[in-house]
Amino acid sequence: MNMQPPAPPTASDVTFTRAGIVAGLIAGQTLAAGVLVYGIVFGVLASEAKLTALEALLMSGSIYSGTAQMAALQGWAHTRLLLPAIATILIMNARYVLYGAALRPWLGTLPAHVTYPTLFFLGDGNWALSMQRRASGEVDAGFVFGSGVVMFVPWLVGTAIGVLVGSAIPDPARFGLDFMLVAFSMALAVSVWRGRSDLRAAGAALVAALVVNNFFPGGWTIVIAGLTGALVAYVTFDGEART
Amino acid sequence: MNTTPDFLLAIAAMGLAAFACRAGGFLMMRYVPVTPRLEAALKAIPLAVMIGIMAPVLARGRFPEIFALVIIAAVMRATRSDFAAALSGVAVVAMGRAFGL
Repeated sequence: MNMQPPAPPTASDVTFTRAGIVAGLIAGQTLAAGVLVYGIVFGVLASEAKLTALEALLMSGSIYSGTAQMAALQGWAHTRLLLPAIATILIMNARYVLYGAALRPWLGTLPAHVTYPTLFFLGDGNWALSMQRRASGEVDAGFVFGSGVVMFVPWLVGTAIGVLVGSAIPDPARFGLDFMLVAFSMALAVSVWRGRSDLRAAGAALVAALVVNNFFPGGWTIVIAGLTGALVAYVTFDGEART
Repeated sequence: MNTTPDFLLAIAAMGLAAFACRAGGFLMMRYVPVTPRLEAALKAIPLAVMIGIMAPVLARGRFPEIFALVIIAAVMRATRSDFAAALSGVAVVAMGRAFGL
């Protein structure tokens, strides 16, 4: 923790410390509960698709993306073809290309043995949480790693529970837990909102997201929303550095 | 579905594809100079993505979920705690569903 007066973070200030990792582990706790439940949902689906516990865990451990795994599982059950399965993953996870690009100014100066494991553990929730922290001056990239790991573990545990216990699990929607990521997105959106200067990019992203969601629901909504927001911010940039 | 070599191969390939997405954007930006204009674009991504995550809920327009979003915004403004805000939203949705809304 440095106690210098707050200044806009620059690349040379970036650190990756144990304290940052611990802060991420703690901040990710709430989201971890939702991820656990989501992991259980995938585990149940995997057991219904006759996957063994090992196969389900291998999927969760290597792909680590709920929507992509569920879509791939459905496709594989029908066709058992490799290329459509890979294409499904690429489409459902295309948003991570944006997430990684947005992390470049923060993680860019760190060594590869730190950045690539951090990127491996990247999820929607911990990325959003990290970007919110970054906007309020966080320099310690350990936060991104810690908040990622704290969601990866319950993802695997949830998958295992889902496969083993199967459909005996009560419907998580009853407790509103399917709403967790949306709820967090709203809270973080309020937090990163800087006022009028965000209005154009945010409004354009909303319109684009609603249109895409109407015609191609699924993996593309988030990607198009993110791209639209970035494009509008790029085009309407007025030369002033905003922090 | 029994464990077959082709399924294990598929899992490995899908895992690689997933990591390629996670690392791809980061790697790509290594070769693109981050100008102030581009940085403004990158900074706009988080809010736009959060809106994209909320969009399907807004489009469905169910009362408990929309009301929950309003509550979340209010709690977030009052407490500055994403934890408290998100949980109160989840509670609103759970209550709404319990009452069959």
